Amino acid sequence: MARFLQRLGERIYQEKIVLSISSVLGFLFLWLLVTDVLGLMPAIVLPSPEKVFFTLYEKILVPAGEEKLFGHVLASLVRILVGVGIALALAIPLGVLMGWYEDLDALASPIIEVLRPIPPIAWIPLAILWFGIGLGSKVFIIAIGVFFPTLINTYIGVKFVDPLLIRAAQTLGAGDRNILWEVVVPASVPLIVAGVRIGVGLGMMCLVAAELVAASSGLGYLIMLGGDDLKPELSITGMILIGVLGLIADRMILRFERKVVYWKKE
Amino acid sequence: MTNERRSAKLTAENVSVRYEKDDKSFLAVDDVSLAIQEGEFVVIVGPSGCGKTTFMNIFAGLVRAASGKVYMDGEEITGPSAERGVVFQQFALFPWKTVAENIEFGLKYRGIPKAQRDETVRKYIQLIKLEGFERSYPHELSGGMKQRVAIARVYANRPQVLLMDEPFGALDAQTRTIMQEDLSGMFLTEKRTVLFITHSVDEAIYLGDRVIIMTARPGKIKKIIQITRDNLIPDRRQMRYDDVVNRKEFLDLKADIWGLIKAEILEKHIL
Repeated sequence: MARFLQRLGERIYQEKIVLSISSVLGFLFLWLLVTDVLGLMPAIVLPSPEKVFFTLYEKILVPAGEEKLFGHVLASLVRILVGVGIALALAIPLGVLMGWYEDLDALASPIIEVLRPIPPIAWIPLAILWFGIGLGSKVFIIAIGVFFPTLINTYIGVKFVDPLLIRAAQTLGAGDRNILWEVVVPASVPLIVAGVRIGVGLGMMCLVAAELVAASSGLGYLIMLGGDDLKPELSITGMILIGVLGLIADRMILRFERKVVYWKKE
Repeated sequence: MTNERRSAKLTAENVSVRYEKDDKSFLAVDDVSLAIQEGEFVVIVGPSGCGKTTFMNIFAGLVRAASGKVYMDGEEITGPSAERGVVFQQFALFPWKTVAENIEFGLKYRGIPKAQRDETVRKYIQLIKLEGFERSYPHELSGGMKQRVAIARVYANRPQVLLMDEPFGALDAQTRTIMQEDLSGMFLTEKRTVLFITHSVDEAIYLGDRVIIMTARPGKIKKIIQITRDNLIPDRRQMRYDDVVNRKEFLDLKADIWGLIKAEILEKHIL
């Protein structure tokens, strides 16, 4: 127990947890101030924090009707996971091959350079035409959002592998394909993971955008519903959950990164 | 020349190399011809930036000559090969591989079975005195340890020719001396052909059968000193480094070579 407290103490000291907690409390206090205390914002525009937390609590405990929270979270989660999965499965191999084989680079680059600047949201009408308003269209939009940052980072990672390492492998007798798998791919992992991180962040945005436009479930839909039904606390609940989901995803990627990039200097 | 090319292990014929930098073209190596015999230890010394490394990289097959050709056993060198192992100045270890995995790297491509590879790796880890560090990653090692791994990685691969680019440059004086003695000893037991590049005149004289002094850029051969053939320092391979460097023959030779390099630096206003 004493040991646990000591470690907790060290952690609090090292990570400046006190500062972090004060900033969150300060934010909540300000929110409380403008709503309940001073009444600057009417509840119909900005509900007080306790109302939001009550909504959150209620929706978790008493799932009912259209506002069933768990169902919305699950719907969003499935979409993001499938979208990210498809995007990574396509972007990483393509990025590796484009970075390594110059002919493929020349072949694919013009198309990618034109498609890349198009905001994923601009694909929504086509996505609905092609995949309907079910899972397909949302997954498609998310996948587009994740695909390009991952592809570009993978490509750059492969392109800028330290040429000295490639030379070393060549003079040790490794052939072209061996060098690709044994040297180039491992050396580009840090940049690939960084690309995935950016991609997943963008994918979350795409998720909400897609659910705002055409969905009858999901956190984006919940946010939309709050506006339509004049229940801003519902929108804020959805926003908080999106934020938490994004944070968890980001932390998971960071953890994964630390695991696979164990060989980089701290 | 053709006969010489056939009998020598490595041959360079009228090799020139150009470098492009900021839209300007530099001549890095200027019309160099050289034949290195099988089992010979050749050391190149010269002022910084004289094209020594570039010249070595041509033998490695990593740099293409603008004109002239290089041969190994009479066959033209067109690209890198495991038969010409390179120890790079900047270690070039694979950072995601352990010490043992780095040393094992080349052996896999020689089709050597796993048990035998492990045996070889163990032997070389012992040779470079890194027992206990088999599973360490390069970022956990000191500069000297990294360089020893880089050397072991190439030795273990048993290339016919060793190309070494200032391999001991990053080591402290003590480690350097030990590594020099090790290399000298290994050269006696496992006779290989070596082309070795260094800034250190001491190292050049101690290790080389033949010392080649290059001019400042563009690099040409200024002078060749035949240490072994002319028996300039008898029995030095059987002696410890510290004993060799204090002998009169050694000091005289060192003064001569330094004089040549210094003249080159002053003449071309490198400083």
